[in-house]
Amino acid sequence: MSDAVKPTQSLDVCGKICPYPDMDTMTTLKKMAKGEILEVLLDYPLSVERIPRNLTKQGHRLISVENTGGPNHRMLIEAHGLK
Amino acid sequence: MTLTILSGLLVGILFGFALQRGRFCMNSAIRDAILLKDNTLLKGVVVAILVAMVGFAAMALGGVITISPTPFFWGANLVGGIIFGIGMVLAGGCASGVTYRVGEGVVGALSALIGLAAAATVTAMGFLKPIKDILQSSTKVMVGEANPTLANILGLPHYVVAFALAGIIAILWLVVALKNRDKGEAKSDGSIFKAIFKKGWGWLAAGIVIGLINMLAFWLSTLAGRSYPLAITSGWIGAVKEIIAVPDFTMGWDSWLVIGIIVGAFIAALIAGEFKIRWPGWAMIGQTFAGGLLMGFGAVTSAGCNVTHILSGLPQLGIGSLVGALAIVLGAWLTAYLIFVRGRS
Repeated sequence: MSDAVKPTQSLDVCGKICPYPDMDTMTTLKKMAKGEILEVLLDYPLSVERIPRNLTKQGHRLISVENTGGPNHRMLIEAHGLK
Repeated sequence: MTLTILSGLLVGILFGFALQRGRFCMNSAIRDAILLKDNTLLKGVVVAILVAMVGFAAMALGGVITISPTPFFWGANLVGGIIFGIGMVLAGGCASGVTYRVGEGVVGALSALIGLAAAATVTAMGFLKPIKDILQSSTKVMVGEANPTLANILGLPHYVVAFALAGIIAILWLVVALKNRDKGEAKSDGSIFKAIFKKGWGWLAAGIVIGLINMLAFWLSTLAGRSYPLAITSGWIGAVKEIIAVPDFTMGWDSWLVIGIIVGAFIAALIAGEFKIRWPGWAMIGQTFAGGLLMGFGAVTSAGCNVTHILSGLPQLGIGSLVGALAIVLGAWLTAYLIFVRGRS
């Protein structure tokens, strides 16, 4: 399903720990226009659970989280755009 | 000796397993509350404190343990705590956080841990010792012969204050929770096996389990002749002393505990498929190492890291731990604000 969506921008935060995966994702999303898609590659378990929880508070929409083997995940997020 | 090694390792493995499964990162818990407005982990920490507060008091009442609060020296608690809080944010994890993440294969956590162990050792017995000693001795306050606690300041039995305080906090929390009851927690699905070994635990389960492990730690370490619940930094100092071969020194219960944490977290991460050697780049290695150094100095100066003060000290109602804990939170919030809020806008 997620293959059908073309990401506008990609962010690789593999290897990074608390809170960088979260902060990098949020600050990148903030700079994106409404409807643009961000792909996030991450391998930090806590952030895999925490990012989806906090996305919606900013109005962004989680499209999919895909486990790409072991702790590696690929997340697709639709940006809400600046207010 | 065998009891020391086996029980220390056992509690460490359980604690490491629970930390990894519970994502129990106190750095995140404290920092997320202001940075991401996410209180999930913080709720777990409060549950762990409440379980231990009631548990320790009951165990002391039953004569199984003796309440042993950390000393109160306000200057050292404040300065050490704030420096520890700053270091914790730079290191990307508290003392327990960087320890368990080594078991997950996080290289940045290993560099933080080396920094912590090195700075803690030179503060405890090396060239930074005079600074720590002056801060501690010049601001030390006692109640009679004892380290001050909420109970002995009020002149009440420990269990009365502990039960009452835990009850009041639980009731207040329940009232607030009932008021904001719209957002339901995510429901878990699948088998119990999956819930324990494969998925991250919820905050409530993690908090209760860690509170119970802390009770077990207090009991077993008392049997082994140590008499304190969970702690991290002193264990690493012991490990360093062993490595540099300090004469007539053998590693104690706390050192076996911290080694067990890495083993437990490694097992948990392996089962969940979350183990991976993660390399964050040299700049981050430098930052986490520097954070570790600050944490090591701060923890020894303040006579406690986040675990000693927050998880083990607050439940014992120690004033030194209360001041130390507040200072850690203050240092962490200030640093998180400067780096992540101001630094990025």
